[in-house]
Amino acid sequence: MRSKGRSRFIFLCVAPAVILFFLFMVMPTINVFRMSLFERGAYSPTETFVGLNNFKVLFKDTKFITSMQNTILLIVTVTIITFFFAIVFAAILTREKIKGQNFFRIVFYIPNILSIVVIAGIFSAVYKPENGMLNSIFSLFAGREVMVLWKDQPMVIVSIIIAMVWQAIGYYMVMYMASMSAVPASLYESAGLDGAGRVKQFFQLTLPLIWTNIRTTLTFFIISTINMAFLFVKAMVAKGSSDVALSFMYNQKDAGLYGYSMAAGVVIFLFSFLLSALVSKVTEREVLEM
Amino acid sequence: MKKILSLLLASAMSLSLLAGCGGAPQTPAQSSNPPASSSSSQNGSEPSAPAGPIKVAALSSGYIDAYPDMWKEVCQAFTAETGIEVTLTLEKNLEDVIGPSMQGGDYPDVVLLATGREKGLTEQFIKDKLIADITDVLSMTIPGESATVSSKLIPGFVGTNATNPYGDGKTYLAPMFYSPCGLFYNANLLNEKGWTVPTTWDEMWELGDKAKAEGIDLFTYPTTGYFDAFFYALMYSVGGADFFNQATSYAEGVWDTAEGQQCFDIVAKLAEYTAKVTPAQANESDFSQNQQLILDNKALFMPNGTWIVGEMADAPREDGDAFQWGMTALPAAKAGGAGASYAFLEQIWIPSGAQNVDAAKQFVAYMYSDDAADIFLKGGAVQPINGIVDKLEGDNVMFYSIYDNGANAVVGIFSAYASVAGLGTVREVFFDPVNGLVSGNVTKDQWIADIKAASDQMRENLV
Repeated sequence: MRSKGRSRFIFLCVAPAVILFFLFMVMPTINVFRMSLFERGAYSPTETFVGLNNFKVLFKDTKFITSMQNTILLIVTVTIITFFFAIVFAAILTREKIKGQNFFRIVFYIPNILSIVVIAGIFSAVYKPENGMLNSIFSLFAGREVMVLWKDQPMVIVSIIIAMVWQAIGYYMVMYMASMSAVPASLYESAGLDGAGRVKQFFQLTLPLIWTNIRTTLTFFIISTINMAFLFVKAMVAKGSSDVALSFMYNQKDAGLYGYSMAAGVVIFLFSFLLSALVSKVTEREVLEM
Repeated sequence: MKKILSLLLASAMSLSLLAGCGGAPQTPAQSSNPPASSSSSQNGSEPSAPAGPIKVAALSSGYIDAYPDMWKEVCQAFTAETGIEVTLTLEKNLEDVIGPSMQGGDYPDVVLLATGREKGLTEQFIKDKLIADITDVLSMTIPGESATVSSKLIPGFVGTNATNPYGDGKTYLAPMFYSPCGLFYNANLLNEKGWTVPTTWDEMWELGDKAKAEGIDLFTYPTTGYFDAFFYALMYSVGGADFFNQATSYAEGVWDTAEGQQCFDIVAKLAEYTAKVTPAQANESDFSQNQQLILDNKALFMPNGTWIVGEMADAPREDGDAFQWGMTALPAAKAGGAGASYAFLEQIWIPSGAQNVDAAKQFVAYMYSDDAADIFLKGGAVQPINGIVDKLEGDNVMFYSIYDNGANAVVGIFSAYASVAGLGTVREVFFDPVNGLVSGNVTKDQWIADIKAASDQMRENLV
């Protein structure tokens, strides 16, 4: 009797979340897969079944291939640079005694709470060809006027990488700082007594002990990079100059190809799913207990 | 006790969340059957008043910045005249506001949204044939007046594929506001330097070389989107009406003709004379910096529309108060020829899924009344109505007189074609690569080859 009431209680507690998840996550996802087999305009009530034709055209579409290449380039470079700086900064801020630790923590975190539109505005000023911040600094050191066209080919992808790294570092830094401060100081003390230097401590102690955290955030990061890349490209640079997978998908919708755009959506969905699984498999290590 | 409380809370949460989903606008049964609604007022001149207010969705463009109450006043005047209430949706991102509810089957009765916008909503409605036939509006009497709509319209604005997209003699989109597009420049700078506005492209290149010697670039453009008006006028000035009509309907081999080649040559040469920073700023967040190049006397000409005056009103300018906007039509292709200026046209149309088609048609007809036109003029919005040019003030007098000074008026757009996977939009194929032409990572031959290939596909898929 008692356990029956209990399971009913659990059922009722879980039900709202499950229902909402099903309605707003599972159903639309299934719908994406279904619509990728049809062709229709975004507003037309009629649709025609085209089977896998959308996918056949998609894999031959050079624009889609370029946009996937851009996406992969962004995922790889932005991930590596962001994680490197986030971990190094976190280690410095937790392990070393630096004046104004909290100040740095806040400064690094601020980009994360800014909206993309604001970030695009900031980087408009940073990348401005004449009198922009970056070009002015370069001119100062070069002693002549440097005119890098940041948002033009071929620098445009570099500009996006810089902005994305700038935006993401703070968030991940705070995450790593949280798990690094959970590592007991006694471990570092005994390592110090055994003669391990700062760098050795970092690689032998800190990294292995926060590894679970790194794994989780890596998966987060891959998914969020796919989304954020779209927002940055949309807000910052000229249409068509450096399309990523999601902006390709979005443009197809505007061109009146809803089914085709959903086919791109399916490919991106599977891609991010597989990539996350792959990353989590590759980074699998024995979990160390503190 | 605790258990019951949490149970209550949990169910309350799920209920309140689900209640949110139920609030979607109710779709009327008739909107699923578009053709039925196209029957106009056949039983007499008094169409039955709609049950509720009609829904008008209008793009909030530069005119609204100049006179924010423009649309509100027109809607009030319409209600006072006809007794039909109006609910107005006025948004800068109109597509994002009305798009989702239209996907759910809830259509506004009247939409003011031009073709040629980045999101291409109007184009999608044309392609999918979701726009009501409003040919009969042209012969309707304007509410409160005795004239018919067509008797007031300037000839030439109805009949092109901007209003009759299927070439079947039926009008689906009414011409609402028009604005001459051309090359804008600082008249004061040209005066000071003693340069004259070029009337042929050869003179243009000469001027370009002279300006370059003084460190001024000949040309810039806000974004590649501004090339559509430019290219339409270019095609017309190079090849005349016949070539224009062939090109906009993607006729076979049209790009291999001498005229077609000349259009490409001019754009490619212009790309060489374009300020090098232009492509780096030709995006949604920086395009005004390209426009600033004109104010800063760093570039001479840019393609734009009359709204530029209001748009850059507060921007600093190198010449200070001496700065003076000038506008010229595109130069003639050869000496003695006529220049051309594209009339950018904003269309007003009725979705075929609209509930109150009859009332919506009255609303469209009322747009051409003198009262409405006067209110629109306060915001600088000019309609293609006979005699309107005499009512203009300020810079607009000079802008709208461009056609009186010998330039050909160009109206019309690239024909609509059914969307095909892998085939881009006209802007993607024709104009976006201009950024690459300027920065040098797209060759002219590649650009032309892509246009030819896409043009063939577009012709095969004409709607």
